[in-house]
Amino acid sequence: MKQRSIGVNLAALLIFALSMYPFLIMLASSFKYQMQIYNYPWFFSKPLHFGNYAVAFKQIAGPILNSVWVTSIGVVATLFASSTAAYAFARHSFPFKNFFYAVILMLLMIPGFVILVPQFINIKNMGMYNTLIGQALPPAASYTAMGVLLMRTFFEGLSKSLFEAAEMEGARDYRIFSRIVLPLSKPILATVAIMSGLQIWNNFVWSLVVTTGDKVKPVILAIMTIMGNVNEGDGVKLAGYIIASLPLLILFFVATKPFVSGLTQGAVKG
Amino acid sequence: MDDVTYAATPRGEGLRHRIWKYRHAYVFLLPALLLLSTIKYYPFFTAFVESLFDWNGINLNKFIGFGNYREMLQDEKIGVAFANVFKISLATIVINLTLPLLVAALVFRIKNVRLQNFLKIGFIVPLVVPMMVLILLWRWMYAGDFGLINQILTNVGLAEWKHSWLGDPATALWAIVFVGFPWVAGLPFLLYLAGLQNISEDLYEVAQLDGAGPVRRFLSIELPLISSQIKLVLMYSLIQAFQVFEAPYALTNGGPGITTYTPSLHIYDQAFNYGRFGYASSIGVAMFIVLMILTLAVQKLMKNTDKID
Repeated sequence: MKQRSIGVNLAALLIFALSMYPFLIMLASSFKYQMQIYNYPWFFSKPLHFGNYAVAFKQIAGPILNSVWVTSIGVVATLFASSTAAYAFARHSFPFKNFFYAVILMLLMIPGFVILVPQFINIKNMGMYNTLIGQALPPAASYTAMGVLLMRTFFEGLSKSLFEAAEMEGARDYRIFSRIVLPLSKPILATVAIMSGLQIWNNFVWSLVVTTGDKVKPVILAIMTIMGNVNEGDGVKLAGYIIASLPLLILFFVATKPFVSGLTQGAVKG
Repeated sequence: MDDVTYAATPRGEGLRHRIWKYRHAYVFLLPALLLLSTIKYYPFFTAFVESLFDWNGINLNKFIGFGNYREMLQDEKIGVAFANVFKISLATIVINLTLPLLVAALVFRIKNVRLQNFLKIGFIVPLVVPMMVLILLWRWMYAGDFGLINQILTNVGLAEWKHSWLGDPATALWAIVFVGFPWVAGLPFLLYLAGLQNISEDLYEVAQLDGAGPVRRFLSIELPLISSQIKLVLMYSLIQAFQVFEAPYALTNGGPGITTYTPSLHIYDQAFNYGRFGYASSIGVAMFIVLMILTLAVQKLMKNTDKID
């Protein structure tokens, strides 16, 4: 029995090490000059060139800021659109409710690439080509379907007596929504915010087609063209990749729980 | 009670009355409906309409019936692209249904709680790393003589296997699939693990009383009870892999030649490099229809196996 559990542990650790090794190499090489990478690629080697990070950061600082803006706009739009709609579905049984709900959820079945081209023309015609908001809204709209679904379930689970008490005091929908429902729904708001943020920050294709030049270039595009000089070489690129991943990694470790529940629920319900 | 009251009044008036009564609910629906209809549904219908047009997105917009679809039948790239994406999807499905499942079952069996938690989080972290970073990292590892993969081969005495992995038509497509090896750290792992954690302890106790070994336990308890997760991973893998874009775009750009072309890449190319928006729309519609048929087929197939169980 004892031996078997040691075997299980070792096997799991071995696969884990294999999975992580490319990331470890990336980290180790990001501190190297090109010659160090050639001579000893397998692990960290001295001296550690922290300067690689400064060089890379200089090239992607602007794009990082753009990405922060795009992601913020997108998350706010997702939260606003999904929480209001979810409230209507959870609180009222109005005519055509199921029809509207089906319309919103149907979006989950449309593959992104099918609408890529007309969506591009559409955004362009609305004057949002090469803007922050033009990058943010389409992925935000994509995640809104999932957001409505997750939030509706959550709102329906809130205690009915709270609403009744508020209604007795004459509170209208707008007040109930902003004073009661939203404050009680922080966990689901965090989950939806994190999940939509993750998708918007990492969204490559849409930004590729809807931006040009450096004006609003997001970091996910900027990492493709990071360059080091002859000495620094690839270390600078890898440092840039790590910098681009850091914001979400930090967020993950700060908020592991909503992250994991968002990932699981999002997929299960989808 | 309300419903009864309204049933007594004439139907049309009742409906109008009810809509007026719930006007606030519609106001709450407005942002989501506006966002989705302008940014998603309107383009979705445009895609179907414009697939019948010769359209460059600016001044040319001429109805040509099924001209685009006829052209597709003769387009050599279409055949290659769909063949590739079938191969990639099949490989992705096979990979996602095996390795992450086995490792999730393995991690689930670990008795040491601290080690288990460490591995759970450890295998999930890479999900947060942008896909593009992973792809660029692998591009770097595949590269040239000093790429990591060729160096490993040299070091273990397999120098004659050294290869231009992305430059050789024989290996380029599989090099794309190979990105992320050993393919464990990802969403499928997380879903399997969540499914395993939901299985009731009692079942295991019963199994133990019956003297079921670990393999029996896996086959007759765990596997059937996470069948909904398996279905989910299957659909998710199919839909994701079928639209694969970033990896071929950044690793090979469809090359060498057109050997690693995919429908998504074709759509992108036709629209944004050649300005052929109508033709690109028609490829999108074709992709939608093929994917729809595949999804329905898979769903039907899965339902049938359910019944046998």
